[in-house]
Amino acid sequence: MTDGWNIVVCVKQVPDADDVTIDPDTGTLNRSDAPAVLNSPDRNAVESALELRAAVGGTVTAITMGPPVAKAVLQTAVGAGADGGVLLTDRAFGGSDTWPTSLALARAAAELDADVVICGEESTDSSTGQVPPGIAAHNGWSQLTYVESLEPRPDEGVLVGKRDVEGGYERVAAQLPVVVAMEFGANVPRPAGLHRKIFAETEFEPVEWTASDLGIEEQVGLANSPTKVGGMDTASPVERERVVVDSVDDLYEHIEEVV
Amino acid sequence: MSVDIEAYEDVWVFVEQHDGVVAPVSWELLAKGRELADETGDDLVALVMGDGVSALAEAAVSRGADRALLADDPVFEPYRADPYGEQFRALVEERKPSIVLIGGSHTGRDFAGRVAVPAHAGLTADCTELDVDDEGLLLASRPTFGGDAMATIKCPAHRPQMATVRPGVFDAGNPTEHVSDPAAAVEEVEVVVAEEDTLSTVIERVVGDVVDITDADVVVAGGAGCEGNFAPIEELADALGGEVAATRAAVDEGWVEPARQVGQTGKTVRPQLYVAAGISGAVQHLEGMNDSDVVVAVNTDPNAPIFENADYGIVGDLHEVLPELTALVRAKQEVTA
Amino acid sequence: MSESEPTLQKPNHQTETPNYDDAYDAIVVGAGLSGTAAALTMAREGLDVLLLERGPAPGTKNVFGGVLYTPTIRELVDIDDAPLERYIAEKKFSMLSADGDETAVSMRPSAWSDDPHNDSYTVLRRRFDEWFAKQAEEAGVTLITETTVTDVLRDGDTIVGVRTDRPDGEIRAPVVVLAEGANSLVSETAGLKDRPDREDVAVSVKEVFKLNRETIDDRFHLDGDAGAAYHYFGEGAVGEAVGGGFVYTNKRTVSVGVAYRIEDAAQGQTPEATLDAFESHPAVAPLVRGGRRIEYSAHAIPEGGADAMPDLVYDGAVVVGDAAGLVLNSGVHLEGTNMAVESGYHAGKAIAAAIEDGRTDEAALAAYPRDLEDSFVVENLRHYDWFHRTIATDRQFLFEDLPRALADAETEYFKMDRSSKEAHTDAARERLLDATGGWVGAAKRAWRFRRMLS
Ligand SMILES: Cc1cc2nc3c(=O)[nH]c(=O)nc-3n(C[C@H](O)[C@H](O)[C@H](O)COP(=O)(O)OP(=O)(O)OC[C@H]3O[C@@H](n4cnc5c(N)ncnc54)[C@H](O)[C@@H]3O)c2cc1C
Ligand SMILES: Cc1cc2nc3c(=O)[nH]c(=O)nc-3n(C[C@H](O)[C@H](O)[C@H](O)COP(=O)(O)OP(=O)(O)OC[C@H]3O[C@@H](n4cnc5c(N)ncnc54)[C@H](O)[C@@H]3O)c2cc1C
Ligand SMILES: Nc1ncnc2c1ncn2[C@@H]1O[C@H](COP(=O)(O)O)[C@@H](O)[C@H]1O
Repeated sequence: MTDGWNIVVCVKQVPDADDVTIDPDTGTLNRSDAPAVLNSPDRNAVESALELRAAVGGTVTAITMGPPVAKAVLQTAVGAGADGGVLLTDRAFGGSDTWPTSLALARAAAELDADVVICGEESTDSSTGQVPPGIAAHNGWSQLTYVESLEPRPDEGVLVGKRDVEGGYERVAAQLPVVVAMEFGANVPRPAGLHRKIFAETEFEPVEWTASDLGIEEQVGLANSPTKVGGMDTASPVERERVVVDSVDDLYEHIEEVV
Repeated sequence: MSVDIEAYEDVWVFVEQHDGVVAPVSWELLAKGRELADETGDDLVALVMGDGVSALAEAAVSRGADRALLADDPVFEPYRADPYGEQFRALVEERKPSIVLIGGSHTGRDFAGRVAVPAHAGLTADCTELDVDDEGLLLASRPTFGGDAMATIKCPAHRPQMATVRPGVFDAGNPTEHVSDPAAAVEEVEVVVAEEDTLSTVIERVVGDVVDITDADVVVAGGAGCEGNFAPIEELADALGGEVAATRAAVDEGWVEPARQVGQTGKTVRPQLYVAAGISGAVQHLEGMNDSDVVVAVNTDPNAPIFENADYGIVGDLHEVLPELTALVRAKQEVTA
Repeated sequence: MSESEPTLQKPNHQTETPNYDDAYDAIVVGAGLSGTAAALTMAREGLDVLLLERGPAPGTKNVFGGVLYTPTIRELVDIDDAPLERYIAEKKFSMLSADGDETAVSMRPSAWSDDPHNDSYTVLRRRFDEWFAKQAEEAGVTLITETTVTDVLRDGDTIVGVRTDRPDGEIRAPVVVLAEGANSLVSETAGLKDRPDREDVAVSVKEVFKLNRETIDDRFHLDGDAGAAYHYFGEGAVGEAVGGGFVYTNKRTVSVGVAYRIEDAAQGQTPEATLDAFESHPAVAPLVRGGRRIEYSAHAIPEGGADAMPDLVYDGAVVVGDAAGLVLNSGVHLEGTNMAVESGYHAGKAIAAAIEDGRTDEAALAAYPRDLEDSFVVENLRHYDWFHRTIATDRQFLFEDLPRALADAETEYFKMDRSSKEAHTDAARERLLDATGGWVGAAKRAWRFRRMLS
């Protein structure tokens, strides 16, 4: 594989966690005002894709499934250094849970002849972490989740990932094509260069693919999502005393009561 | 694309094991699975995969499973997503479980995501409550974004209904059930994967002891505010006879081992006393400690959200406050001793 | 996979990054009111403009009381679509003594309730600035956020671009507009202006309290979109310092803050303690009671007036808004927003004309300071220059003696007891005269302050 790897990085747009506030009067979530941003764990995915490209050559293509405004996260990826982007956008995708989402991303990755697909650990809005293994399963590819670092072995067609497991780590050699989920915080994402950022936000245009482009219009969307939200409850917030004491002695007294 | 849901029955629990040691979360789920199975009138089935692990299958029966399915083969040791996934798919097609519970550890989530797709199952991640409705439908509840709302997820038209649960959410209970011959309830299943068909190889595995902080009565947790010095946390924990815990920020810095991380992507703890020092109180952290009886916060920033989520707080430097507190605790112990 | 779709367009890989040096006619530093006004004006004149903002979005870094004055902005954009909070229906000026007295003058001209509401609205800058910048983007401006300008680039004496904190972070353009606000580090580092004298800068701290809309309407006697702007002076507002306090109503929040000379802060009066004391004054506390504090912030306000204005143009650069010290803080007026927009507008016009002529040296840009001189901006600043000098001499009288004397006089004047009204009036007059230094002193002071209301 002299011409390097086709690296695909999956990025998702989520509401900015810093801006999602709880209305103290009603106890509900003020999510509407929150601007949409790149899911922060996906920054680690982008960084890792760029590092992999530097190591083995090839290209990095960012993909996202979402409404047209999700183009912004592709711009962020291209600003950081990705070579191009694909926006999977279609009304038919609306209401998809992880099963159809991973199907769409899996089909797109196959369409791009991906050797490696890199995702974030999980998304901050749905936080399932199930999409990366889902992509691998749909395509029958190998998978590496909770990856701290990558070690490409292009001559063997293998990607070795150091995985964080309970109590330690393991190194797993996975055959290409492989889907990787980088551990959140595994690397330090590079800032976008100024001129690259200007390019990404002014000239770069992603290609857009629809569900029927991928031949999956009958398999996605709300109707094809196994899970349904049966109900929403405001979690009764835990009642806390919220007493702020002035001295360590006072603090000790309160603790003594407990232990 | 719905399926004949009537054909699916039984509650399965995936028994996660490494080197013959069962992850505690699996026993927690087995206890919860017992409750659910009793309500739906189904059997509780333990799914055990590994190499030479029949004893674990028997242990699962002793702990309350009606039956255990055992896939015993070298291909299953150590854990890898692709052979495990392939075997699970075959079992689901053949046996049609209605509910499958999996621990929300790294291994469990790696496995769950892999197997839900071929089974076309509905999968709810990180549940904090599990129940069944009148029709035996699994009600999987989890905090949604922001943590102040609970969404209940159902899976009306697909089977199995799968859920992952983080360690520490449910109680493992005590294995009191007496079964005279647990081995009789263990069924060894046909292994459908061959080593040459696998896609990955584990080339190194370095695993030490895994501490379990989920049962501690006292937890003293430190965050980024410790700035590399966890000694004040450790000393207070020691004085109080509790466990040391940490935020993800502290774990990522390498100050504390990952097994001690509390929060959405770590452990759920519910001690009588939780001391949060140098912790801002991000929702992802709060999710793991909100069930503590009493929460104490030490933080230099009076605006830190942790104070909103604490019973007693003190605005101050943890490097001064904690040693002072430790001294008071020790002094008191000396008096009583 | 689905080979059936041969038409599927593959992504176009663009690994090479174009270079944008001199791709833009102008670079604007800071997407506040002045920067965005300048960028928008230039874009309308057909220029290619790059607007650089350090925050994640325009407005996120902005601290503000505040009332947005809209006479100029209205000419640039359709403010009916803008995220305005409330129009100012009532202005109140209060003297507060440290003992808890309040003496207030309030005005609610009915004209303010009619469109265009005297061009005075409370806004949340976080939302307003973002909206305003969006208007500029729609006019063709390229807005790049999360990018901090660290210095200007020079070719000899001519400014030819900026350096930012990003990798590959230098970019060149014929004109740089410095619109970085009161904390104008770039202009200072570049030697375009001196660090302002301490006396010429006020420090301001502000808190935002969340209350129900109905509670705000009730407490401030408001209906619909009507809002209130309360200004406070005297020892009860800012202690020993020279300055004042304010309370403004938004839709669902109330902004409370104090602003006073940084000089006083340096002499030990901390902003936190000052704000705390102001908020617990009996005249203020009931207004915010039960409110949840959702924001605390601190900011500088230039208030040196016309004398403290730096040079506004250089070869290849102009300075606008707060960075140029264009704020009027006279006690009665606190205006910076209208001046920021006005200066951005004139700068934008001048730059467009200069670019048209193919020159961007100081002389070519001179129309900007000339037009600003002719506008209300410099005129108002000059008009109030005396104020700062006067206030310095009369501080003790204005902020301590007067509020107390007023309160005492009122107490005397309205006293209910069995002595005659005439006796009360005499006693009240006595109190006032004591404080003002007798008839002569009072006359002198009246003369000095006559211009305050002129
Ligand atoms: C997908 C995802 C999953 C996550 N999962 C988890 C999780 O499971 N658990 C978790 O904890 N986080 C998790 N996080 C991270 C979480 O969002 C926060 O970033 C993290 O909890 C912050 O840790 P912290 O409070 O230690 O650090 P900070 O937020 O940096 O707070 C440090 C605090 O220490 C205080 N401080 C500083 N110095 C002192 C001193 N000398 N004395 C006293 N106080 C001091 C500061 O005022 C501050 O409040 C997750 C994030 C994501 C995106
Ligand atoms: C507490 C307070 C109350 C006030 N109340 C009123 C009032 O009631 N009415 C009124 O008319 N005026 C008021 N003012 C004054 C008014 O806010 C300012 O005059 C006005 O905002 C000035 O606009 P500007 O565009 O010059 O600067 P700013 O609005 O400060 O904008 C500067 C922008 O530049 C950005 N920036 C700064 N440095 C850099 C850099 N190096 N690189 C990139 N970006 C940078 C900043 O993030 C910011 O977005 C008040 C000010 C304060 C502090
Ligand atoms: N809609 C989407 N578009 C692109 N990538 C996604 C999408 N949803 C999830 N992902 C990827 O899958 C990872 C895990 O997401 P989740 O399973 O939703 O927690 C994310 O970090 C992304 O890399």
